[in-house]
Amino acid sequence: MNPAVEEVREDDGWRTLCRRSLAASAVMSLGLAVPAAFFLGRALVERGWSPLSVAALVAGLAVLVVCGVSAFDYVRLRTTRWRLTGERLEVRSGFVERHHRSVPRERVRSVDITADPVRRVFGLAVVKVGTGEQAGGQSELSLDPLLRTDAEALRRLLLDGELSAGVSPDTSPGASLGAQDPAVARLDWSWARFAPLTVWSFVGGAILLGAGYKALGLFGLDETVEERLGPAWDWAIEHPWTAVPAVLLVNVLVGLLGAVIHFAAAWGGYRLEREPGRLRLRRGLLTTRSLTLEERRLRGVEVAEPLLLRLGGGARVKAVATGLGKTDDEENEDVAALSPPMPREHAWRVASAVAFARPEAGVTVARPDAGGASPRPGADDAFARPLADGAAPAGPRLTPHPRAARGRRIRWALSWVALVAAAVAALDLMYAWMPAWAWAAPAALLPVALLLALDAYRGLGHTLTAGHLVARSGSAVRSTLALERAGVVGWTVRGSYFQRRAGLLTLTATTAAGRGHLRVHDIGQDAGLTLAAQAVPGLLEPFVTRRADASG
Amino acid sequence: MEPALALRPPRHRADPRAVRWWTVQGLLVAVPLALTAGAAYWFLTERQVWLGALVAAFAVACVALASLTPRLYYRVQRWEVTDDAVYTLHGWLTHTWRVAPMSRIQTVDTERGPVQRLFGLANVTVTTASAAGHIKIEALDHELAARLAERLTTITQATPGDAT
Repeated sequence: MNPAVEEVREDDGWRTLCRRSLAASAVMSLGLAVPAAFFLGRALVERGWSPLSVAALVAGLAVLVVCGVSAFDYVRLRTTRWRLTGERLEVRSGFVERHHRSVPRERVRSVDITADPVRRVFGLAVVKVGTGEQAGGQSELSLDPLLRTDAEALRRLLLDGELSAGVSPDTSPGASLGAQDPAVARLDWSWARFAPLTVWSFVGGAILLGAGYKALGLFGLDETVEERLGPAWDWAIEHPWTAVPAVLLVNVLVGLLGAVIHFAAAWGGYRLEREPGRLRLRRGLLTTRSLTLEERRLRGVEVAEPLLLRLGGGARVKAVATGLGKTDDEENEDVAALSPPMPREHAWRVASAVAFARPEAGVTVARPDAGGASPRPGADDAFARPLADGAAPAGPRLTPHPRAARGRRIRWALSWVALVAAAVAALDLMYAWMPAWAWAAPAALLPVALLLALDAYRGLGHTLTAGHLVARSGSAVRSTLALERAGVVGWTVRGSYFQRRAGLLTLTATTAAGRGHLRVHDIGQDAGLTLAAQAVPGLLEPFVTRRADASG
Repeated sequence: MEPALALRPPRHRADPRAVRWWTVQGLLVAVPLALTAGAAYWFLTERQVWLGALVAAFAVACVALASLTPRLYYRVQRWEVTDDAVYTLHGWLTHTWRVAPMSRIQTVDTERGPVQRLFGLANVTVTTASAAGHIKIEALDHELAARLAERLTTITQATPGDAT
């Protein structure tokens, strides 16, 4: 490329990515070069090459890999330009195929800054700008990498610029929060006790050990290890009653350790703050992440209580926001997570702080279909009440669902047990080797399934607060979702044959945020239709009829 | 204890030609399926009588389903567009009612499949910002569908905001 042309484009406001990226990617390419060199070296030594030529070839390969990666990165850096104008953020990239992506600044919904350990050493960070388009995978625009300071500056510019555009009044939240600590939540290391309360702790140990063994195999060390472990294996066969519990114990210990390490790496330095008009989440010990989310993109909040975590008295908080929920490259990372597993009371306090972090709710009410009936969330809001008096158990007070819903759950549980029993019976008939104790499986399953069914019914509930529609469901994965009433973009009412016979229905509020819907499972027909009519006045009402002979 | 409230069915049905369209569409799948089963029986097995009866029953069931379910569909599928909302009902065993307010509609599409075109029919699909919230009005007269789409587009364009 002609340098003169380069200059002109710089004048247009087009900027390059940070050159230091070359050094960072060279360091990261060692992760590829070292194993490659190791395998080559081993193969050559096995063929009986002289040490000198092996060393030369290995070094050559390593240099080749590092140079290749650096060259690729160099081309990428040379061909990528970005600029921030008054209206839009634009990125041009691509060597073979040119791309030009441009995002209107007013559409920016979240700014995510990530820095893995290598980039941190070089003072770099990756910026991802979320625009919240639901269609396609093109919802993010990423600048990889910028100087850490530039990244922070860009984040402030993108979000502050928008505030000064006069869309949302940033004075009221700032004023009301001025006296308070901006931190909604801060990491408490004692929360690490909740980290192992997932199924992964029990199966994760086995997976880790298995993966470790595979890795040994890759390096050709498995045979050596097997020779060493031979006597141990013989001993284990001879003493199964000691060996099996010991292996299980090791498995659980490894799982516990893994869970705690993962907790520390993902949530170390966790801090959730409220800045005027937005939420800011910072976390991560090795790879630091900083997510800034505009509060007017927030449509609600979810408190997730998976069974094990719930038994341990913990819960997690998630955001329900538009422009979140796309996890292109990191499927295992929950981008919507607002908190690590934490004590339940604490989770409710965070959820309630997040849900009512939107003083602009008054602005959204101006929408035609939101109606005038959703006043600012106030002190009378049921979602906040348990936190105020502190006496009630954590969480909002919810209206339970009809007993018919319990019957349905018990019948589901019984059908599952019947299915397992039928499978055992079929195997028993076909094969003679089925031992009689196989029947213990459905027998043991019966109480578990019934308990889960009853628990699922106890969990069912809904309520309507001044600003939110709240619904809870699930037993193994219990979740309480509070969705802003102004964020409801439609209703789906579903009644299966059995539900209609029992006078129940499943009410789904569709929304642009999060998973796209809030479901109120198995609510009574009258209660459900009334709830929908009250939550969003004027939308479902014209289609609801009252039976002529119904009293009242 | 009968519920006092209920959702009334939307006012309009699909175009009567829809029954024929769905029948043709169904037969296009069912007939080859039945023929394949018959051919497999004739050429690949030893033509046992009991298996023959089974295959015949399967073939009859395929064709019967394809020719009878469209009538059922026609009876349960309904739609309505008011000034404020789009409202549909579909499903036979499980009834599903969907409502989307005009102010939250993002896109309006009409689509016509090849078989559908023979009968002069079209579908209208309305999407909102929710991944879970699109509404499909099936088998309308294609001119009616075009007029409806135009009307919906005009109304949605008049609504300010990004409808999220």
